[in-house]
Amino acid sequence: MLYKLTACLLITIFAATAAFAQTISVEGEVTHPLKLGAADISKMQRTEVTAADRDGKPHRYSGVPVTTILQQAGVTLGAQLKGENMSKYLLVKSGDGYEVLFSLAELDSAFTDRVIILADQVDGQPLPDGKGPFRIVVPGEKKPARWIWEVTTMTVRFAKD
Amino acid sequence: MILFGMMALTFVNGRIPFTGEPYPLEYPASFGNRTNIPADNPLTKEGVYLGRRLFYEKMLSAGNKISCGACHMQQLAFTDGKAFSTGIDGVPTDRNAMSLANLLWVKNFFWDGRASSLEQQALTPLAAPHEMGQLPEISAEKLQRSKVYPGLFHAAFGTQIISGEAIVKALAQFERTLISANSPYDRYLNGQYQPGSAALRGMQLFMTAPAPERQVRGANCGHCHGGPKLYLEVFHNNGLDSIPRDAGREKQTGVAADKGRFRVPTLRNIALTAPYMHDGRFRTLEEVLDHYSDHIRNSASLSPVLRNTSNEAGGASLRLSKQEKKDIIAFLQLLTDSSFITNPAFSNPFN
Ligand code: HEC
Ligand code: HEC
Repeated sequence: MLYKLTACLLITIFAATAAFAQTISVEGEVTHPLKLGAADISKMQRTEVTAADRDGKPHRYSGVPVTTILQQAGVTLGAQLKGENMSKYLLVKSGDGYEVLFSLAELDSAFTDRVIILADQVDGQPLPDGKGPFRIVVPGEKKPARWIWEVTTMTVRFAKD
Repeated sequence: MILFGMMALTFVNGRIPFTGEPYPLEYPASFGNRTNIPADNPLTKEGVYLGRRLFYEKMLSAGNKISCGACHMQQLAFTDGKAFSTGIDGVPTDRNAMSLANLLWVKNFFWDGRASSLEQQALTPLAAPHEMGQLPEISAEKLQRSKVYPGLFHAAFGTQIISGEAIVKALAQFERTLISANSPYDRYLNGQYQPGSAALRGMQLFMTAPAPERQVRGANCGHCHGGPKLYLEVFHNNGLDSIPRDAGREKQTGVAADKGRFRVPTLRNIALTAPYMHDGRFRTLEEVLDHYSDHIRNSASLSPVLRNTSNEAGGASLRLSKQEKKDIIAFLQLLTDSSFITNPAFSNPFN
């Protein structure tokens, strides 16, 4: 009986976590691994960029600079981004399995004025089905191949060998 | 002599010590080296040979009825030609048997990606009541009593004592050698084969995204099925149903976006592996092309790659012409690797 109850409880907990599984994990070479939900991200300092998707037309994307998230996780940015930390990269993964890579230097405001964001809105609306809830937007890039949608994981690693 | 002694004593990570001669894997540089080989199961010639025997060994099933080869037949690129397979008890499986080619580069096995290594994958068909219906530990006891197997396991793993773990390791080693890289398409990429004009037009369509506003016609298959391996490890809902009977990856993750999402399978040897899709619903490539051209079903989890992707402005499916469908099929025929399906190294050693 007790066993059955525990099993039931476990299944319920599992189902509940699964229902809220649309979160972003920030892991790897970080001092504080994060699991961010929509509520966490809406509390962060927001920004807006205008950029053109595959349709060639400019849209207003709003969200959070990727560096803001990485800073919360304690990634070596700013003054710490030198020496061996220059061989670190960020790998972003989508729920569909697609993966794209950024070097830390191409994200950091000490190196570039371009602000790469994790967007949750386009033209004031939530992202459409399939592309949300979070998508990377890279302003000024000629091909939107790194505008990875349905972001689920951001992993910082050292390039090895 | 001393060197040999040291080799025999080497223990790599796992509990099973291994001996044996390394098995060299050969594949085109364009396939890349992002392979999936666990550190505790490096390929050896002895391990691969044992794995091949085990793949065709009926003793691994309850009542010694079937082997892996019953549902994964070499002449059909390791499929069985059926929508659903039947194992020891005649009850059909839930999904279509998958082709086993270039598994070396796969990270998440099965239609829903639920197994992360071939070692882990093999436990399912071995134990599943509608497949082989026998726990690997029982198989190990049966093999232990045979004349040949203790010696073969000793050669592969340095011990006569047969375990379930050693069985799945040997199977995995053999499966990693199932490399298909010699189709006419591979030879075309090497500059050694000139496709006919229909196949060339089909290839162009396969690799191109349609853009009616710029008068560009395309089928965009390569977005999900592209690259020199014709395999990308991604999961999509390709619009088979609005309300799928099989929820696919959603069953794994519980995420609504994964409803009706399946791993994009390899298109290598696709002309040999009918019927198609996770439930074998399409009998021919013509039916597959009709699906992508005219019958994409909308839903909240339909792949964004298939939304608003049409050769007609505002179209909901690709809208290919009859000739275009034929051309794409002519290209798909170039993916048949006849040396793969006749390679003696992959064949049933009991025949
Ligand atoms: C009764 C038929 C049957 C037998 C016997 C069988 N399989 Fe399968 N195999 C299947 C089916 C069906 C699937 C797809 C199942 C799914 O995705 O849920 C599959 C999938 C696989 C895959 C996944 C391929 C990929 O690309 O992810 C591998 C590997 C595999 N089988 C190997 C084996 C091995 C090794 C054995 C013997 C130990 C075996 N199979 C025995 C029917 C069978
Ligand atoms: C959005 C990604 C995507 C695109 C684009 C796409 N496919 Fe697929 N394809 C899939 C998925 C996912 C499956 C497996 C679906 C299932 O079984 O539920 C699949 C399955 C197939 C299969 C059956 C494979 C098998 O082993 O049963 C064939 C054949 C195929 N696709 C051909 C094509 C062709 C030809 C095109 C272009 C007209 C195309 N695909 C475009 C995602 C895609």
